[in-house]
Amino acid sequence: MTQSKSSFTWRKITESKLFFPFIALALILLFDLIFIPRFFALTTQEGHLYGNLVDVLRNGSCVMLLGIGMTLVIATGGVDLSVGAVMAIAASVAAVMMNPVIIGLKLPPNLMKFINDPNFTYSPLWAVILVTLIVATICGLWNGLLVAYGRIQAMVATLILMIAGRGIAQLITNGVRIQIFYEPYAFIGQGWIVLPFSLYIVAAVFAIAWVLTRKTAIGMFIESVGINFRSSYFSGIDEKKIKLLAYTFCGFCAGVAGLVASSNIKTSDAYNIGLTFELDAILAVVIGGTLMAGGRFSLFASIVGALVMQAITTSMYAIGVPAFALQAIKGVVVVLVILLYSEQVRGLLHRITAQKGA
Amino acid sequence: MQKIGALISNNRRFIPLSATVALFFIAYAFGAISYEGMRDPQVFLNLFRSSHYLLISAIGMTFVMLTGGIDLSVSGVVALTTVASAALLREGWNPWAVMLLMLGMGMALGATMGAFITYLKVQPFIATLAGMWFARGMCFFISDDAIAINDRVYRILGMTKILVPGLADPVTKKGDFISILVIVALAVLAVAIYIAHFTRFGRTVYAIGGNEQSARLMGLPVNRTKMLVYTLNGFCSALAGIMLSIYVLSGHGLYAQIFELDVIASVVMGGTMLSGGAGYVFGTLFGVLVNTLIQTLIQFDGRFSSWWIRIVIGALTLMFIGVQSLLAARKTRQLASRKMTSQAKGAIAPAPLAALRNRQMLLLGGGAIIVIVLAVLAINGAQNAARGSVTNISTPTSAACQLKPFRQDQAASLMKAGAILAYERNGGSSCIDELYSVYPDGRIVGDDGTKKIEKQVTPADVDKLLSDINDKGWFTDEMYDTWHTPCGQCYGYYLTVSYKGQAKTVKAVDGGTDAPANYWQVVSTINGVIPHFAP
Repeated sequence: MTQSKSSFTWRKITESKLFFPFIALALILLFDLIFIPRFFALTTQEGHLYGNLVDVLRNGSCVMLLGIGMTLVIATGGVDLSVGAVMAIAASVAAVMMNPVIIGLKLPPNLMKFINDPNFTYSPLWAVILVTLIVATICGLWNGLLVAYGRIQAMVATLILMIAGRGIAQLITNGVRIQIFYEPYAFIGQGWIVLPFSLYIVAAVFAIAWVLTRKTAIGMFIESVGINFRSSYFSGIDEKKIKLLAYTFCGFCAGVAGLVASSNIKTSDAYNIGLTFELDAILAVVIGGTLMAGGRFSLFASIVGALVMQAITTSMYAIGVPAFALQAIKGVVVVLVILLYSEQVRGLLHRITAQKGA
Repeated sequence: MQKIGALISNNRRFIPLSATVALFFIAYAFGAISYEGMRDPQVFLNLFRSSHYLLISAIGMTFVMLTGGIDLSVSGVVALTTVASAALLREGWNPWAVMLLMLGMGMALGATMGAFITYLKVQPFIATLAGMWFARGMCFFISDDAIAINDRVYRILGMTKILVPGLADPVTKKGDFISILVIVALAVLAVAIYIAHFTRFGRTVYAIGGNEQSARLMGLPVNRTKMLVYTLNGFCSALAGIMLSIYVLSGHGLYAQIFELDVIASVVMGGTMLSGGAGYVFGTLFGVLVNTLIQTLIQFDGRFSSWWIRIVIGALTLMFIGVQSLLAARKTRQLASRKMTSQAKGAIAPAPLAALRNRQMLLLGGGAIIVIVLAVLAINGAQNAARGSVTNISTPTSAACQLKPFRQDQAASLMKAGAILAYERNGGSSCIDELYSVYPDGRIVGDDGTKKIEKQVTPADVDKLLSDINDKGWFTDEMYDTWHTPCGQCYGYYLTVSYKGQAKTVKAVDGGTDAPANYWQVVSTINGVIPHFAP
């Protein structure tokens, strides 16, 4: 009796979406525990927490944000390649609104002397954030329109914005890397309230997404569309609107990530902000166990997936792997993860556990 | 009229292809009318000379896309090939062995990714993404820095000029030319067309893209073909990498950044459906040419910043995807109506019609966006021109700026008067014409036609300058005239150097053509020494 009960709970655990991401995270942290002394050390300065673990959370916040939006998109059976470019667009919009002097919008002479002043901004902060998020949301809406109403393959439709997006971002800033001096804006990415402020932003966006998908029927609709959009249509779900919503939300998340990224480096760098982040985000979702074909999803598992990616990066930096060479290691990790998730390997695992049970 | 309609509807599958071809020729004609420099046949040949590796990679990608897959790893494999071959050549390997090894490596990488996709049912997107990261990361395990290639075979392959019959004089060996790499690329194109349309393998590729399930049921070797397609693309990526390393004579892990986007955009513009099953390898050639032509046009105009290239290519990709999806919708409707007439019952199928409407809306929207983009381009250009004329009234506008002829006689007389270096720089956005002469005693004199400027350096500095220039291979065959009619705002250079009894003059132009890399090093060395006129 006890045997069967324990095997039942074991299966319940292993079949949970959170099982594999947590195992992966645990393995990486175990590696850190053995090979990197003081990886887990936490220090407090002025009541704020610092340390490698906090770094993992802080540097992972952009990918976590993107991962939340990407989870919904992938759950509908699509993918959004443009999030990195949308981040760059968002960062450019925010920078231009705060510091427009560079693109020829001449400030009145009485304001020119304030341009390096950490308390000066051309537009108020709330307007900067609002407009930036609206622009990013429109980018998401554009993707959604192409995919849902234009019936273009998701990868192709979002590829267009991926190609053009960085060009648009450079157009907005006139190709200049605009520095941001405004201190309150820098707080978004650099501020600390015991924990890094960006984590609270992630928590807020996560809460919105969670309420949206788990406290309303939208989550169910998204899964249903991802599993079979045609039968969803016939059972009365407006699959187009659901897809549109997913892409729009993904654009919104990318906008938030763009704000965090640009305030973190206090610059709008249209070339490099969010470069290859779309890949990180997709990978975070895949590690989180959401199938690329769509269907069931878990937002929290994607967050853990993002942390897995960031933990790998931080630990590799800690043992001194150069930044560029890190990509090769990431590639190998991706291969291992997709092997772990592939049906063949899963089938093998199931057979082994089944044999044990028998 | 009806006949034309029937002709179009019977040959609908050629519409994307002919649209690309037409677009290319219209854009080229536009360029030739607007910019005098573009009428030079060499500029047309340069479209091939600067895009051969893109073409090779796009051919491989066409096959992958025809099966309905995608390969993001091309940029990584290209970069890895350049670095690995440069590193091996530095170790003194035989160049031909290096090339073979690289091709083998590319095929092995491609086959590995193919195996993941085919047998482990991993999404092509994810598997090739991992491949890209792996390849690009490996570059930096080999070397952090760019490695120069000094191999003789690579130099010969990269620098041999093949004169084009009819456009060049075979006796004086002057005129318009292409490179060996262009011939290789075109040969690969011919082979690819043969494979795609005249072999069993090619037909299987199309069948898989049309419907993988039915291809399998028909008993076609689906798995083997998919493996082969990804292996073929790995081969093409490696070949593209080899050609890039021959072209730029160096290898670096940061080469070919976001190259995969260019490749995919070229293939899409060439009329290949991203969903697979439809398209022509021949179209890819024009996709690549359109891509390169846009860059050339934006360079020639000189008023637009480089980021417009990305935006225009994005807009064009959107347009072609719009055309494709409209055609697909038509086909669905036709099938539906055919089905209905054969069954002779049922109401009008609402879904395909709605889809068609959506697609038409989409196409209109896409068209509108392209119009907007072009309008913004025009306004932006006009503004820039206006801004230029406001800020600097004394300089003529770019349209009025014709490159002045070189003051060759003056340069010669300066050399006779004891100068050891005469350097003339013409053109540019502010239409300058400056002639500098350097004397052995360290005196440097600049002359912009109206006033003179002088600078005194030590004789040792002059010696160092000359020996630098000599070290860069000034007196070897690697420095040759690359002069042709320049574009509107390009600089022209006329440089005479005399050193240890040797004297040599080279004419070149930037922007429209590409002089050997050493040449620009020489120019920038000189620019670092000479005095500068106040703007």
